[in-house]
Amino acid sequence: MKCEVCSELLEEYLDGELALHDREQVDAHLLACIECSESFAALTAEQELFTRYDREIEVPPFLWTRIAAHTNTPKRSWFGSLLGKTSLASAIAVLLIALATGVIWFSSHKSPEPKLASTPPTAPSPDPLPKSDESAAPKREVVASHRKPRSRVKPPVVADQSDVLSSELAYLDMDEQDTALHIEQSKILLRSIKNVQISDTDEEIDVTYDKALSRRLLNENVVLRRDAEMKAKFPTKTLLADLEPFLIDIANLPDRARPQDVREIKERVQKTEIVAALLDYQDRGANNR
Amino acid sequence: MTGAFAGTLMNTSADLVTRVCQGDADAFRLIFERYSRPVISFIYDMVNDRGLAEELTQETFVRAFRAIHTMRAETKLSTWLFGIARNVARESLRARARANNHVDLADKSVMDLSDDKPAPVEGLLSKELNDLIRRSLAALDEDKRLVFTLKVLHQCSYEEIAAITGFSLAKLKTDLHRARAEMRKKISPYAGVGYEV
Repeated sequence: MKCEVCSELLEEYLDGELALHDREQVDAHLLACIECSESFAALTAEQELFTRYDREIEVPPFLWTRIAAHTNTPKRSWFGSLLGKTSLASAIAVLLIALATGVIWFSSHKSPEPKLASTPPTAPSPDPLPKSDESAAPKREVVASHRKPRSRVKPPVVADQSDVLSSELAYLDMDEQDTALHIEQSKILLRSIKNVQISDTDEEIDVTYDKALSRRLLNENVVLRRDAEMKAKFPTKTLLADLEPFLIDIANLPDRARPQDVREIKERVQKTEIVAALLDYQDRGANNR
Repeated sequence: MTGAFAGTLMNTSADLVTRVCQGDADAFRLIFERYSRPVISFIYDMVNDRGLAEELTQETFVRAFRAIHTMRAETKLSTWLFGIARNVARESLRARARANNHVDLADKSVMDLSDDKPAPVEGLLSKELNDLIRRSLAALDEDKRLVFTLKVLHQCSYEEIAAITGFSLAKLKTDLHRARAEMRKKISPYAGVGYEV
């Protein structure tokens, strides 16, 4: 083998990508040729230099939390998760306690009205301001008259259909889909706040669900807003920036919020017409953003 | 028990993918724990921005989660993840360029690394070396940076690089050779690497 040929093959030789025949020839040449051998040593030293490269970058602890917020699917129940982390006996004990609590609850709530509070989420109503919210109001009053924290109707949750995507879609820009889903869920949350009935007799309002949802949406909102800004999607960025204070306020409510705090947010939602802005964004469609 | 706590070390990538497809969210967390560091490093190599690398790593794993059930059995998980990361990084770089708001990847200080500067006798301190490599890497064009990063910094095989990038073998060899030459030109005066091609 001539030195010129060897020189051309040295990088592939270093990378371990040469075919057996060529590798053997380079091996033999390097044993015999001092010049090529020195070149190979220098190339190896260079490689070692790069392997010492330390980017000083770590995976931040919050990154998984953010990813989990996007990938959270109901495929594994809380009970299944519990089984994965605790002993079977502990899980059964928890289940028995839950059953006992359920029995006690049902025996003390036989009237039909409070069922509303535990109604499972249904599909979103096509009506932008569903009358069911108003019709639900008197039923909520029944709960309020007992001076108990009011358990509000959970807003319907849009089903995450992300796992029906094809592999091709995975390589496409997912932001529009993420943003659309985020806007839909935020709209439902704010509409729920907007339509909440607050009576003078209320001492506190149970916003546990809204608060948890708002916290999740807030995390998403920050990421999507930054992304929109980075990609120069300014209408999207502006809308998400307008939405963020509402999410912060709801997320910061205590689980059992004072009626005046909820009323304040409700009035601001009405005054600023943020729900209308979210609807308008949806109506315009992703292509016009 | 087939949960994530049954023995992390015994989970092969293929097992983890199967479990994620079956709805085991813990399995995806193990995938994240296993691959987040190389993925964020790779993305950082490409975009040269720490905060952006974090965001794009998040995007990579969200996309991966949503499409993992479509991953072919013969595909290597790391190759597949790097492929998504590469697309996410590329989209970001292009969006930044389109917005005419791009960070100057080719940091001007790289231009100061000319060959006629005197080489330090004892080579570079590690921090200086890191900074030098980072800036030299940023000065490469995107394709060269991509293949150089995958081969030299992440030790991928040519076959894996071709699968990740979609480049032909000939193109990736050419780009890699040129990238090495450019990196050498920037670094050799400082690090005492005297090999000439």
